[in-house]
Amino acid sequence: MSQPLQAAPVAQAAKTQALPPTFQDVIMNLQRYWAEQGCVILQPYDNEVGAGTNAPATTLRSLGPDTWRTAYVQGCRRPTDGRYGENPNRTQFYYQFQVLMKPSPDNIQDLYLGSLRAIGIDVEAHDVRFVEDDWESPTLGAWGLGWEVWIDGMEVTQFTYFQQVGGFECSPVPVEIAYGLERLTMYIQGVDSMFDIVWSRGSDGVTFTYGDVYLENERQYSKFNFEVADTEFLFREFNEREAECMRTLEAGLPLPAYDSVLKCCHAFNLLDARGVISATERMAYILRVRTLAKACCASYMEHVVGVDPETGEPKRSLEGEE
Amino acid sequence: MENANTATLAFEIGTEEIPAFDLHKATEQLRTLTGEALDAKRIPHGDVSVYSSPRRLIAVVGDVALRTEELTEVFRGPSAAIAFDDQGAPTKAAVGFARGKGLSVEDLTRRSVDGVDYVFATRHVASVEVDSMLPEVIEGVIESISWPKSCRWGTQSAFFSRPVRWLVALLGDKVVPVRFAGLEAGRLTWGHRFLAAGPWEVAHADQLLDVVRSAFVVPSEAEREQAIRAGVAAIEAETGSKAELPAKTLLEVTNLSEYPTPLKGTFDEEFLAVPEEIIVDAMLMHQRYFPLYDGQGKLTNSFVLVSNGDPACADTIVDGNERVVRARLSDAKFFYEEDLKRPLESYVEHLDEVVFQETLGTMRDKTDRIVALATHLAADASLDGDDSRDAARAALLAKADLVTNAVVEFTSVQGVMGSYYAAAAGETDQVARAIADHYRPRFSGDALPESTVGRIVAMADKLDTICGLFSVGQGPTGSSDPFALRRGAIGIVAMLQAGLPVSLEQAVDASLATYADAGIGFEREAVRRQVLDFFITRTSVMLRDEGVHADTIDAVLACDVVEPAIIIARARALEAARSQDPDTFADLATAFSRADNLRDASLGEEPDRSIMEASERALLEATDVAADAVRRALADDDYPAALASLAALRAPIDGFFAEVMVMADDDGVRTMRLRLLNRFAAIFKDVADFSKMAKSR
Repeated sequence: MSQPLQAAPVAQAAKTQALPPTFQDVIMNLQRYWAEQGCVILQPYDNEVGAGTNAPATTLRSLGPDTWRTAYVQGCRRPTDGRYGENPNRTQFYYQFQVLMKPSPDNIQDLYLGSLRAIGIDVEAHDVRFVEDDWESPTLGAWGLGWEVWIDGMEVTQFTYFQQVGGFECSPVPVEIAYGLERLTMYIQGVDSMFDIVWSRGSDGVTFTYGDVYLENERQYSKFNFEVADTEFLFREFNEREAECMRTLEAGLPLPAYDSVLKCCHAFNLLDARGVISATERMAYILRVRTLAKACCASYMEHVVGVDPETGEPKRSLEGEE
Repeated sequence: MENANTATLAFEIGTEEIPAFDLHKATEQLRTLTGEALDAKRIPHGDVSVYSSPRRLIAVVGDVALRTEELTEVFRGPSAAIAFDDQGAPTKAAVGFARGKGLSVEDLTRRSVDGVDYVFATRHVASVEVDSMLPEVIEGVIESISWPKSCRWGTQSAFFSRPVRWLVALLGDKVVPVRFAGLEAGRLTWGHRFLAAGPWEVAHADQLLDVVRSAFVVPSEAEREQAIRAGVAAIEAETGSKAELPAKTLLEVTNLSEYPTPLKGTFDEEFLAVPEEIIVDAMLMHQRYFPLYDGQGKLTNSFVLVSNGDPACADTIVDGNERVVRARLSDAKFFYEEDLKRPLESYVEHLDEVVFQETLGTMRDKTDRIVALATHLAADASLDGDDSRDAARAALLAKADLVTNAVVEFTSVQGVMGSYYAAAAGETDQVARAIADHYRPRFSGDALPESTVGRIVAMADKLDTICGLFSVGQGPTGSSDPFALRRGAIGIVAMLQAGLPVSLEQAVDASLATYADAGIGFEREAVRRQVLDFFITRTSVMLRDEGVHADTIDAVLACDVVEPAIIIARARALEAARSQDPDTFADLATAFSRADNLRDASLGEEPDRSIMEASERALLEATDVAADAVRRALADDDYPAALASLAALRAPIDGFFAEVMVMADDDGVRTMRLRLLNRFAAIFKDVADFSKMAKSR
């Protein structure tokens, strides 16, 4: 598997073979598709997050009146979901494809269905359904209404109109679309184990599976998350990151401060996986994270959006405002 | 039907997928709101019909008048004598009357009615073109639909269940320019998302439904349900099995499709080794499939799914759904087998990972309290050694399944799974059964736990929650009852009423003691009173619901009874006695009320017999006979007999009040009579406060 892979355009690769798209075809096709809809294609955020929503390109950029459109792949870490690579459907690391558009376009459902066509799903030949599923994140002080999207009974996407983030009303309203990339690709490729997903297929037939790429990671990280991670270090990291976040906010810098929130979240998730957080402490930690996250949103409103987070009034008279 | 003066009004609110249950409620609102909005504008109209699918709400109103009717209203005002002063000038009264009708005083006329001159105001309301009013009417209807949850979208400030994407509004063949959320109504509608997307033009209001139907949309919940039931019946006939169609899932499925097609799917028989409840949970709760049962009522490996896709693609759709079921059941089987590797008891210690309530600790803490409380209840019920041990054991294991893989994944099978795991671990049948049963009764009218042991664990669990939440000041308020304390209390009352031989009052004390021992700080006496009052209120509501009169309940409660079973038995007996012999009880209530009002406790109950007259002696004798009988009846728990004894006092007390005047001038006589009445009223004290039932109260 060491031969160089030929970089072939996706469309061509799909044409030359009757085989279903590879994992990376799915990613590249989604990126191409959403780029055509005017989205900024970001690369994954370089900090541990539990979901694509938590990346600052979604959380913070949902706030304020400016138009924003982005799409990105995001690796998500959920330490407690690790199964040492032994469960075909559950891992402590997986990928989401995240789309955020603010304001939500009027034809967003059609745009979404178009994205399914773009990755080879003939929506007319399947049963595609939008099933009520509202979203709430207590740690972010955020909620929205939307659906989970089913294809023939399988949930493949979360679709949400954000109403509030960090306790602030979203105006205009962003729409978030979060695809579970592994699940979607398993469906497209007709495989029953995540590790059997074909990640890439060279024109010479050299193929890598998801298992080739990530099975060892799952084994090692599951062991690390559940058995090895240094809990004293993590408790200390949480406290220090919390202090660093507050200090950074005092300097009026919500973006780097938010990185510390993500570090706190991850430290907490690891401590949780290590089983050292009692139920009562748990609530207290969640509240501490929420306080930080809301403070970052408030600071973002103040320093980036230019709105007094207390009153909601513009901080300074904005140009062009009547 | 339509003539030149009327036309059909049809409008459609086209949306993104509205949640199933919200859609159901909104459809009914639409009917009422539309009728009321037209009436408020005095627009004559025929029947309002409403239709819906996940992506639309439609109202069709027949025979809407094109013009409102001209109207002349005449109002009579003050008499001329008041309306005009001596000089014949209008008074403030006349001016005010005219202004109130939107007229000036010069517009008033005078007319005589029965010989008296009055002023009259006559107001003309001109006929108006209806089409000019309709946009506002329909916009008001759209805005008035209330949703459990609603959202904004894009740059709009309007709220609706989900984004509104198109509006159709037609009066006859003319578009009504309704505006909402940046949209303006037209004559274009959209069909089924994949089978006939559209847009489709609607020429005339009468054709809206036809156009929608021809675009593969079944626009009514009832019709879709009928289609689903017919499809399910066909599958039942084909397979010789019977489907389970719970109302909630059926409604949800009905409102999750615009063009439903029931299809049959199957899964591998090996999964039938997994407890049925998990499979059914996976199918009903997670996938909204209907399980199929064979002639013996055993679950089969077939199920019904309801597709919203193209019937021509049924094979692909069934195949996809079967893959989802396979993955889910593989998970379930894996979880079940993993769970079975350890005895149920070993999960108990992990209950400290599940929070019961922030201040009250974890489910592990709760388990300890339930064991203590169940032990108390078993002793109170005088259970024998085996049963008593089973009650404590079942209490210890009751919550253990909450941390098993299967219940974490399929929450609705809590209890049931514990029961399977308990049986597999060699617990007694009674313990296993009690674990499954302790969540019962889950709703009003649900079956009670089968055994006394099951009832004791169920009561311990529910009472622990109630006492705990009250002790941290989180009893239910208004419509907010997140821990379902009311339902819990009703469940306990139902078990007590069915004969569970324990004292609620003592159990409340025992429960509060477990919290106090655990270091939860609260005002013991105040919380105790709140909890007992809470049960009394629930019991009263249950009695009212079965038709017992409020004053009957009040009369019983006035005697300081707190045990629900006693309250219920007494209230029913008193209600029955009152309805059998209304005169006696009404009369006795009045007499008692009189005696009660005259009562003077300082005088005691020993009247001077030497100065008594016949009616007084008769009352004294009857009172003493009744007092003795009531005492015995209450000792025997024979409340109806106690009531019968009281009823026998009607004639003597009536005779007494008829013959004598209590407040006699003579001090000795008056004192004797008051003491006699004290003696009479005292018998009622442990039975019921009859004054609550006196009409003149």
